[in-house]
Amino acid sequence: MQWIGQGIVKALEMLLSGEGELWRVAWLTLRVSGTATLLSVILGVPVGVLLALTRFRLRWLTVSVVHAGMGLPPVVVGLVVSILLWRSGPLGDLRLIYTPTAMIIAQTMIATPIVTGLTMSGVQQLHPKLHLQILALGASRWQLFWLLVREARMAIIASVIAGFGRVVAEVGASMMVGANIVGETRVLTTAMVLEVNKGNFDMAIALSLILMLLIWLVISALTRLQQGRRPL
Amino acid sequence: MKCFRSSVILMVLIALLAGCGAKTQAPAETQPKTEVQTQAPAKPTNPEIILATTTSTQDSGLLDLLIPRFEQQTGYKVKTVAVGTGAALAMGEKGEADVLLVHAPASEKPLVEKGFTINRRLVMHNDFVVVGPAADPAGIRGAKTATDALTKISSAKATFVSRGDDSGTHKKELELWKGASISPAGDWYVEAGAGMGQTLTVASEKGGYTLTDRATYLAQQKNISLEILVEGDGPLLNIYHVMEVNKAKFDKVNAEGAKAFADFLLSKEGQESIKNYGVDKYGQALFFPDGGKVESDLTGGK
Amino acid sequence: MSPLLEVEALQVKRGDRTVVDVARLSIEPGEVLAVIGPNGAGKSSLLHALALLQPATFGAYRWMGQAVSLQREAQSLRREMAVVFQEALLLNGTVLENAGLGLKLRGQVALAWRPAAHAMLERLGIGHLANRSARQLSGGEAQRVSIARALATHPRLLYLDEPFGALDVLARSALLKDLKQLLVSEGTAALFVTHDFTEIPPMADRVAVIDRGQILQIGTPQEVFSQPATPLVRELVQVAHDLVRTLQGMR
Repeated sequence: MQWIGQGIVKALEMLLSGEGELWRVAWLTLRVSGTATLLSVILGVPVGVLLALTRFRLRWLTVSVVHAGMGLPPVVVGLVVSILLWRSGPLGDLRLIYTPTAMIIAQTMIATPIVTGLTMSGVQQLHPKLHLQILALGASRWQLFWLLVREARMAIIASVIAGFGRVVAEVGASMMVGANIVGETRVLTTAMVLEVNKGNFDMAIALSLILMLLIWLVISALTRLQQGRRPL
Repeated sequence: MKCFRSSVILMVLIALLAGCGAKTQAPAETQPKTEVQTQAPAKPTNPEIILATTTSTQDSGLLDLLIPRFEQQTGYKVKTVAVGTGAALAMGEKGEADVLLVHAPASEKPLVEKGFTINRRLVMHNDFVVVGPAADPAGIRGAKTATDALTKISSAKATFVSRGDDSGTHKKELELWKGASISPAGDWYVEAGAGMGQTLTVASEKGGYTLTDRATYLAQQKNISLEILVEGDGPLLNIYHVMEVNKAKFDKVNAEGAKAFADFLLSKEGQESIKNYGVDKYGQALFFPDGGKVESDLTGGK
Repeated sequence: MSPLLEVEALQVKRGDRTVVDVARLSIEPGEVLAVIGPNGAGKSSLLHALALLQPATFGAYRWMGQAVSLQREAQSLRREMAVVFQEALLLNGTVLENAGLGLKLRGQVALAWRPAAHAMLERLGIGHLANRSARQLSGGEAQRVSIARALATHPRLLYLDEPFGALDVLARSALLKDLKQLLVSEGTAALFVTHDFTEIPPMADRVAVIDRGQILQIGTPQEVFSQPATPLVRELVQVAHDLVRTLQGMR
């Protein structure tokens, strides 16, 4: 129990001293997970809107795959991406294994189904004739897309929060494709696991507090964006 | 409503800039390091070395000392991938690493025989110890041999926690059971499937025995309530070799880098660093340098 | 003068069923054509197809006498038309922002669309609601916003899909009157789908009776009511006659 107290003290010490290593790890965490979430939004929102509005032959299969993807275990993604990026793998020449880029790729694969699935639900909850009304007012496809996104912004931002939360919290994929290399691919979650393994529990708790702080900051910003300034 | 769109665009721009930072940072970081050294050698053509080693080696902290020194002197950048012994050897067998630092001699030999690795050299050793609760229910304290200790534990059906993860420590443990002609099984034999640090924690919580390397035990001592009960027996030696992955078999291997790293471990400076590591923190050295020797020197021909 | 809209051989299929099968239909500039029929007759499908909101096959589609390539020109053609549905389908935002949506989509800047939208809201009697949130309107008010939104872009042809269906009787009659006035003063043609024949006399110049996807009769309300062409039309018309007689009897 004393570790929690020690952990809090240590966390404050590290934050106030501006210790270089800690800031580097925290910044890398934000950069990797933030970029992955952004990419998942760029991929997922248009696909989600498309799936909500169109009917095509294998739609039910595509939707099931997206939904299954929402529950994809990060370690599985880590394994698949590793196999692709290893020297012996098809993309080995890109020399991406054990780099932050590899971690971004893996985390994007984890977050995209979440953003896609929840965006699709959000748009499906809009009035079924809304997109027809917007088209009837003379909107182009692009204008239609933006208007629907704006109308479904609650659900879409919720999907971004869910996607970000999932990837910033995961260890398995980051560990496999990044290898927790100090100064290069060490993020808060993998650093925590290392400290636990070494038996430095106070450090592990300190890192977890900092991770929670980081998550809370990002998610409050997103929540503000979602809820807007006006009450319902 | 326009501010919604603008904030989205703003976030996109920020993240794009951040994402671009990911690539450009790596080369920028290596430069300050080599510039500090006034007489750093010319930067090697392929500066990246992938070192596959075990989690217990990394957890000891020895590499945190050796690697920065090596990088500063040579301009190489070492990517340490710390996994279980099985995985580290597998990386060698697939050419996914350039150099291996492991401690499972019996499993290493097939790699050399099949030509996956070359230049296998003895680097250092430390030892394993059997630890357990101070109360010592199985009465193994001071046993002369490890097999003796294990036999007593098995007869008493005292809790024994195994790594259970095919690591070097696990393989050593299985060898010792074999030497005692015992196949451990039953409720008292707990397979943790975890790293050494965590396994010690589990043993401590359960009041059980376990086999551990001395280095990890010393590092964890403050967190656990276990004592060293048996030590010094020949078979308890934990022997580390460095092997370079064979470029003839795997074209993408950084052979010069691998050799440079291995040479460093065996250099006077490397061996001195190994000898002194841990003395100020724990009052004793964690590893014993053995550059120039061969395995049989240590095990007495076994 | 050529008709505003003229289509030939229009077919809409849903799965294996043909829900609309119309050999020829035209709308003159400024005319209000009502489309009436029982539920499931295909009235809405006909409207959606003509408004280019639903896939359909056309033998010919002519706008202001010119043949139109639906592949390439659908969006620009839609900008000459507007649609009002049974529900107002307003978006998040104020009444003014909603009313100006059509204009904004056409690239107009705030300086231009704000006064134009406001003017149209005034003409529908709801200028005072301009800054209210669209979520806080009654059914009748919301539908007025939807009509204002549609007419703000000065379309040549306005489609109305049972626009008064969700309104109470008083709101309905007030809106009907105001809408007709607006259509006449703007010179806007309209295709007006309804299943309520009491809406026809105040609104329609011509009426088309449709059942099972086919037009049974088309002509002025006078013609259709006094000379029904088929048994079904006669039945529909009979219901109207009966109601009139009942009301007269009650007086």
